[in-house]
Amino acid sequence: MTDIPTAGAPQPAPVPAPGSLPSVTTAPAPPASRDCPACGTANPADSTFCEACGADLVVAARASDGAQPPADVSDGTVLASATPQTAPAGEESPLDVGWTGAVPSSATAPATDDLTCHACGQGRIVDGYCDHCGTPPPNPRDHLVDSPTAWVGGVCDIGRRHARNEDAMSLSATDPPGSRAVLVVCDGVSMATDSHIASLAAAKAARAVLDQPFPKGVGTPDSWASGAARALTSAVTRANEAVAASVVEDVPNPPSCTFAAAVVEDDVVVAGNVGDSRVYWLPDAADEPARQLGRDDSFAQEQMTAGVPRLEAETGPHAHSITRWLGKDAPEDLTPHLTTLTPTPGWLMVCSDGLWNYCSEAESLRTLLHDAAARLDDATPTTLAQALVDFANEQGGRDNITVALARLAGRGSSTTTTEATAAAAPVEGDPTDG
Amino acid sequence: MADFTAEVFQNEFLPDGGTDVHAIVRVTSTGASTGTSSAASAGLADPGSAAEVILIDTSGSMGRRGVAAAGEAAKAALAEIVDGTLFSIVSGNGTAQIVYPYSHQGALVPMSAHTRGEASRAIDGLRANGGTAMGTWLSLARQIFETVPHVTKRHAILLTDGVNEGETSQSLQAAVQSCVGAFQCDCRGVGDQWRVDEVRGIASALLGTVDLIPAPEEMAAEFEAMMRTSMSRGVANSELRVWVPQGAELLFVKQVSPTLEDLTSRRTVVNPLTGAYPTGAWSDESRDYHVAVRLPARTLGQEQLAARVQFSLGGDPVAQALVKAKWSNDDSLTTRIDPAVAAYTGQAELATVIQEGLAAKAAGQDDVATSKLGRAVQLADQTGNDEMTSRLKKVVEIDDADTGTVRLKKGASKIDEMSLDTASTKTSRVRR
Repeated sequence: MTDIPTAGAPQPAPVPAPGSLPSVTTAPAPPASRDCPACGTANPADSTFCEACGADLVVAARASDGAQPPADVSDGTVLASATPQTAPAGEESPLDVGWTGAVPSSATAPATDDLTCHACGQGRIVDGYCDHCGTPPPNPRDHLVDSPTAWVGGVCDIGRRHARNEDAMSLSATDPPGSRAVLVVCDGVSMATDSHIASLAAAKAARAVLDQPFPKGVGTPDSWASGAARALTSAVTRANEAVAASVVEDVPNPPSCTFAAAVVEDDVVVAGNVGDSRVYWLPDAADEPARQLGRDDSFAQEQMTAGVPRLEAETGPHAHSITRWLGKDAPEDLTPHLTTLTPTPGWLMVCSDGLWNYCSEAESLRTLLHDAAARLDDATPTTLAQALVDFANEQGGRDNITVALARLAGRGSSTTTTEATAAAAPVEGDPTDG
Repeated sequence: MADFTAEVFQNEFLPDGGTDVHAIVRVTSTGASTGTSSAASAGLADPGSAAEVILIDTSGSMGRRGVAAAGEAAKAALAEIVDGTLFSIVSGNGTAQIVYPYSHQGALVPMSAHTRGEASRAIDGLRANGGTAMGTWLSLARQIFETVPHVTKRHAILLTDGVNEGETSQSLQAAVQSCVGAFQCDCRGVGDQWRVDEVRGIASALLGTVDLIPAPEEMAAEFEAMMRTSMSRGVANSELRVWVPQGAELLFVKQVSPTLEDLTSRRTVVNPLTGAYPTGAWSDESRDYHVAVRLPARTLGQEQLAARVQFSLGGDPVAQALVKAKWSNDDSLTTRIDPAVAAYTGQAELATVIQEGLAAKAAGQDDVATSKLGRAVQLADQTGNDEMTSRLKKVVEIDDADTGTVRLKKGASKIDEMSLDTASTKTSRVRR
């Protein structure tokens, strides 16, 4: 769980940043599909409700359109607000009168379609629940598995204690190992309203920025690093705007989330974070230390900086209070903690606190990962991520858990050590804040 | 047209293995009052669509003074009946007779200045005589309403001062049952010679209210108010529909505000998973219902719809609320009791212990009465129900409200006991 700091926890005054509010400059292209803001499922563009979880897509679309008039009226249709019981125009549906009990399986409906209950197979989904057994359709957001390529994969899981998955994960990768990958994890602040929508919006917005190849500049590692840093900072800005735009009205507790991302481009890694979601570098070579890239924006981190031991700081009363976050009430300075790295063979991990709550030390995490890899017959990034999610759930699953992994072969020989990497990337390992 | 909204108050989180879901569903109507222009434009205010019958006790026990006061009360009620509304006056003792309209005019006449005057003169001719057989009064009222099957809004006022006699309680029960669904009936008892539980049985079955009028002189104001309320109701034929999933058990459906009324036994089947409960006519108002469902426990993290509560008019759902269940092992979520559920649960227990305590007292079981009324004092104290505390004080001496230690008051007046009894089902609205 991630909390906004409460009274008593030291915190920078959260100053609203008027300049960071969304200024929509480009009209969105007509969407080919309408993604559900709650569970992420892609629905047909004319959908009014998510077929997977029943969320209202019209309201969501209005929210994301901001104050703009409907952008897409070219086909002459304007989306009308609809009530949950309304059947598509022109169709007489027995569901029009709300629910009337089990709908007769006559000609009015095909025997099975998207609205047939998965749990009992007898009822139909009305208002998001089966009209026979009351079960909602499975929410795809509760357990998300993504394997964009063989060397990148991740799992985002609701955990065992939370009623909603407020973690979000967005991954992309190109086929040749080490060529290009984007891993974004955002953790919604559970004390705020609709943080599950905010975190998904943030993750998607950030990935859209990071999917663009970084400028090469003059071709030196330095110029690449500065271009990458600018891209990550820009991704945070876009993500922050997306979070702010995910609320329709002024709510007392506006949604907010953390941000952690890692980008692999031509076997070089750049990582950045805001809040307490983490990027870890877990090299294969035992003599190279495993470590967290960047640092948390949390009360626990501040205590550790002041000399309090990690275990004590991370289990203290305000351990999960974060000092920076994305959202309408975000602090003004959202520059991510940036790290660039030219890796040896190893694993790059982006995760939420749902995992590291149970295994915070980078060395312990590496051991955990290697043990899991040894147990698995088919150790892929995705199966390993699942194994780590399972581990967190076995420990209690107190929070939503997200683990995204990229397998890196490393530049050059697998035996290269720190000298080689240091030579290749002068800034490697050094936080390059600002 | 009248607008209805339904909102739900509940804690949807259940602990591991938890099965029982409690929710308060608040149904609110706007534009249902016949006084509002929107209702008039929707045709709801057509007076010909409503019928009123006033049932006056003219048994010998009423006496000259009682009948005269009842007559004045009836006239006050007549003054409130909107012109065009069909009406009839019935006098009841051991049998029942239509006092007005006169036999050649039929069973009901539309209200006008002329018929109001004629009815007033007919009321002046009433004399006290004979016994009390309320079943016969109700049966006559039902027959009167049956002459106008097209009228959907049917309401009666019943006034009595005594115990039903001259007919068996079975025949009274049968008469009441024959009237269920035929009309709504508000009942008032005057003096201290009538039985609260008997009259409450009638009012409850016929979706009406019951109250005590301590002295005959207070009847006119009460009748005026009752009739004004009835006249303001522009929506009839409403019902609450409750769906529960396959395998679930609907434990109860109660109206909990403005008065307590257990609707569970009034279920009519809509389909195997859905029952309908009559809610009578509506004005612009808000009523709260307590729905309790028992579900087979699911595994932690699972969610399901526990009940779908709809408010329907003439069979068409116009508002709905969803009652949900989510299983969690987060104690901070599952141990919280929704404040509305808690408050109404407490008020329902308060009403029960008051009624049981008074019944035990009447039966001479003083120790049972003391313990029940003691619990009532404790509950009223805990919930800050000062009105009920002051009513209880007239019946018991309170030694310690905290522990519910009381003594039965010597020489508590019957009327105080009866007023405590009738007030027990009136609940105070829980704010969100």
